[in-house]
Amino acid sequence: MTTRFDIEYLRVLGPDGRLVGKNPPALAKDTDRLVELYRQMLRVRTFDTKSVALQRTGKLGTYASCLGHEAAHVGIGAAMRPEDVFAPSYREYGAQFMRGVKPREVLMYWGGDERGNDFSGPKHDYPWCVPIGTQCLHAAGAALAFKLRGEKRVGVACVGDGGSSKTDTYAAINSAGAYGAPFVLCIINNQWAISVPRRAQTGAPTLAQKGLAGGLHCLQVDGNDIIAVVAAMEEACERARRGDGGTVLELVTYRLSDHTTADDARRYRPDDEVKAAWEEEPLKRIKAYLVAKKAWNEKKEQAWKAECGATVDEEVNAYLATKVQPIESIFDHLYADMPEDLARQRQQALDWEARR
Amino acid sequence: MAEKKSFHLPDLGEGLPDATIVEWFVKVGETIRLDEPLVSMETAKAVVEVPAPCSGTVLKLAGAAGDVIETGSVLAEFELDPKLPQRADAEDTGHSHGHKGAGKPTPAADDGDTVIASDDGGELDTGDTAPAGREDAGTVVGAMESSDRVHSEQVSAAAGVKAMPAVRALARKLKVDLTRVKPSGAGGVVTMADVKQAAADGSASGPAPATARREPATAPQPAAAAQRTPVSASGRPMATRPPQAAPGTGQPEQLKGVRRNMARVMAAAHAQVVATTLADDADIHAWTPGNDITVRLVRAIVVACKAVPALNAWFDGEKLTRTLHPHVDIGIAVDTDDGLFVPALRNADMLDARGVREGVNRLRQQVMDRSIPSTELSGYTISLSNFGMFAGRYATPVVVPPCVAIVAAGRGRHQLVPVMGGVETHRIIPLSLTFDHRACTGGEAARFLRAMLDDLALPG
Amino acid sequence: MAAITLIEAITQALAWEMKHDDSVLVLGEDVGVNGGVFRATAGLQQSFGDSRVLDTPLDETTIAGLTVGLASQGMKPVAEVQFDGFVYPMLDHIVCHAARFRSRTRGRLTCPMVLRVPWGGGIRAPEHHSEANEAMFTNVPGLRVVLPSSPARAYGLLLAAIRDPDPVIYMEPKRIYRQYKEEVPDDGEALPLDVCFTLRDGTDVTLVTWGSQVKECLEAADALAGEGISAEVIDVATLKPLDFDTIAESVGRTGRVVIVHEAPKTAGFGAEIAARVAEECVYDLLAPVERVTGYDTPIPLFRLEMKYLPSVEKIVAAAKRTLAAS
Repeated sequence: MTTRFDIEYLRVLGPDGRLVGKNPPALAKDTDRLVELYRQMLRVRTFDTKSVALQRTGKLGTYASCLGHEAAHVGIGAAMRPEDVFAPSYREYGAQFMRGVKPREVLMYWGGDERGNDFSGPKHDYPWCVPIGTQCLHAAGAALAFKLRGEKRVGVACVGDGGSSKTDTYAAINSAGAYGAPFVLCIINNQWAISVPRRAQTGAPTLAQKGLAGGLHCLQVDGNDIIAVVAAMEEACERARRGDGGTVLELVTYRLSDHTTADDARRYRPDDEVKAAWEEEPLKRIKAYLVAKKAWNEKKEQAWKAECGATVDEEVNAYLATKVQPIESIFDHLYADMPEDLARQRQQALDWEARR
Repeated sequence: MAEKKSFHLPDLGEGLPDATIVEWFVKVGETIRLDEPLVSMETAKAVVEVPAPCSGTVLKLAGAAGDVIETGSVLAEFELDPKLPQRADAEDTGHSHGHKGAGKPTPAADDGDTVIASDDGGELDTGDTAPAGREDAGTVVGAMESSDRVHSEQVSAAAGVKAMPAVRALARKLKVDLTRVKPSGAGGVVTMADVKQAAADGSASGPAPATARREPATAPQPAAAAQRTPVSASGRPMATRPPQAAPGTGQPEQLKGVRRNMARVMAAAHAQVVATTLADDADIHAWTPGNDITVRLVRAIVVACKAVPALNAWFDGEKLTRTLHPHVDIGIAVDTDDGLFVPALRNADMLDARGVREGVNRLRQQVMDRSIPSTELSGYTISLSNFGMFAGRYATPVVVPPCVAIVAAGRGRHQLVPVMGGVETHRIIPLSLTFDHRACTGGEAARFLRAMLDDLALPG
Repeated sequence: MAAITLIEAITQALAWEMKHDDSVLVLGEDVGVNGGVFRATAGLQQSFGDSRVLDTPLDETTIAGLTVGLASQGMKPVAEVQFDGFVYPMLDHIVCHAARFRSRTRGRLTCPMVLRVPWGGGIRAPEHHSEANEAMFTNVPGLRVVLPSSPARAYGLLLAAIRDPDPVIYMEPKRIYRQYKEEVPDDGEALPLDVCFTLRDGTDVTLVTWGSQVKECLEAADALAGEGISAEVIDVATLKPLDFDTIAESVGRTGRVVIVHEAPKTAGFGAEIAARVAEECVYDLLAPVERVTGYDTPIPLFRLEMKYLPSVEKIVAAAKRTLAAS
């Protein structure tokens, strides 16, 4: 039996801020919603800039910037429903803010405090995931639970181009396909896995096509195009929700920042490549589109930026003012009922701290 | 009076010890707002923009473009403007990942202490090797302590042998006895090459490792409080040996090794044992030529043990038990430069004269070359101390638990002895018997001594 | 000769061995162009080319499996896992294959590989970057587990590890990667595996440790010396196979032992040493064995990590408890 496949590429809004192609999705006309989405993208960027500044002034540990990923992240979050479950890697703050995670929680996490993972908003979402790709199987497992219980909820995971090489990612694709689970995998291809370029990860021409091996729907999307991302993500979630199987979306974007604040990307990638990538960045084009449609202007931009700055500062101060947890906190959340041995050790730790 | 704030150069996330000022974005006296660009700093190959940590007036800047600032030292000082947005400080997490200045109050930049290199001249940190094209310290997460401090490990002089830890480790691996290696390094230090040479030519092969370090004792050994031995658990000699004939320094010196052990063991024995001593003279006038004194003493002890088993026993003061032994193992005191060793002459009751002589010689030799296994330094049932080589007649030697008796032989001498019909000169050996009166009676001790004297009086 | 850091000593050793043995190759994530996220392999791809220094796709299972494949077919791969916390997917290949090839094939196939693991906490890192998981490997028959504690030992032991015909898990304490410099001649001289290094002689108490805590133990020994207590410091270096003779000989002299490791206490490698002390040295002991370890919890995020790691103060307190006992 011969099989052929095509991987479609979806772009709605070009880098110059103009629609491409015929029959744009309805969202392209919904300027109110687009303005709101743009606001969220600006909010994320404001937060991201402040976080880097915090790290540079010694107030935050290592931080993974999301510069350049705003459309991909905000778009994913916007298309999901509150009852869905989100399994991030460690960079998708834009999606998480859409789902109710607070900036101070992100800062707590990178600031070395476990309470950052205790989201006050989306109670079922997974915490940030450092072991690459493992979150994909968690989302697939969640999706399987939803299917087994007959719930109309979707399990969504984000993974990078580097992470798409991980055994766990393949396993998630395969098992989600085998079980027909409501699983959506967003491969956020920002072209770089620390210093390893996209072409070194795999021989396959697209990352989206990895879904074919598991029998999932596959689509490649311009990840800097908020309209395309939301449209594609909404369709994928609906498909999963009605029981028609999972999807792999490859969101093509670019990592405009270093891998983390401790990395230095100039060691391994040329400056003109980064410059060219800035021309395609997500905020520029949606702003141009909305300004052309008279739905946005400079005055609104400055006012919104100031408001973002103020709310981010509030979150930053809340984070900085949070005291370090007491020593017993490292014992108190290990088991439902604390074993005796551990209770003794906990007391020893307390005694040691009180020794002066 | 407005509040002042010193801003210390934070670790810019790459674990670097310092960074170079590229360009200030403010001047002294100007106002800056929180998070506005303050300065751009160059870490190796990356230029990083450092934002202002507060809002206020700039009072001091730590250097000029081109100056190198150490991580943790003061970068700028501000007078805070309470009307402008400020930011709180976070708690110190106890990490030391900065450079020498991190976390400590540092003098103001004007003192020149923190400027370690400058395009305008100034002092170079001579402790540093020339950082030609210095690589960035690199890490993709976290912040690690980073410094140019040079550290060298030291030669140690354990067991009287000078060597680096790595040389000792190699000697262990190649089973080379360091005490026998000829050192070729300066100051008498044994080098790697010396050890390899010794291994290759077999000139310093160490004692054969004990096949089992701790074999289960055939006779139940009482779990004595710290039955310490002067030889290590692996059968190798103690680590420290005092230097030969070192003059007194007049300063307190920590006891080590055998001497340290002796101090402990004797004190413990003294605290437990009820020591009583009987002394008498053995008349060896009848001895035929060729009698070996050690052999005769050993034989006499064996005879006496058979006659009075109460003195060939172990006593447990806590449990109040007494173990009478069917065999006789005699601890033979051997004096060395390092101190006293008491190896056991096993089954002395089964040995003939030659066996005793050879056995005692072998024990002496093993003690001298430190090849005696630790198992052979304990477990004897009675001991003998022949101190008479130098001086002394009678003594009150120390009984060390679990034994209950020790025989001491002093310096032999000639003595006028009245006999029927006149006076003769006889050779005598003074004997002292100390026993633990918790376990033995005076009568038993006296009968034991009698048996010894009678046996020693025999011709051979 | 310039003084170098521990990480530079590793680069120096890799360069030496790659120069003198064509079968040695390096593989891992970001090891080529980037020289490794810790710069351990800096300059190697430039010197030896991309068929000797390979950037791998992002997958530890891939790295482990390919390494076993390479090693069993005549190469000497030195694989790098980027962080201790990412080693777990590799356990399948390490435990089921690398450690057993020789045994399962009666020596027909062997696995002369080295896995370099940046190890341990104390660098203010995010989650999963501060694992001290040596005990996971010491319980696997067929493996060697080695932890250097100084630039010189890093150089000498890595050379020995690469030359060793059996699989070696070489765990590098990242907290001391750049802590200080030491003169390390680039002479290709390996240090012996399977032996402990006695770094400081003492008579009153033996401190046994490895990795980052060697520094703390030496500082503790200094503090104790100030109070007239003489502490011996042993760097185990090769955890498996363990040179217990050195430890026993020392305990036989001092009668007191304090074992220090940052890994959690229960079933940490200190438990093995304590058991052997009980089996073979119990009559030498003047006090119970002391262990100064991490708590039986995951290492906390960095705000609390310095309270978790063994401190000089805790080690000194433990040493003094052994002296108070007799």
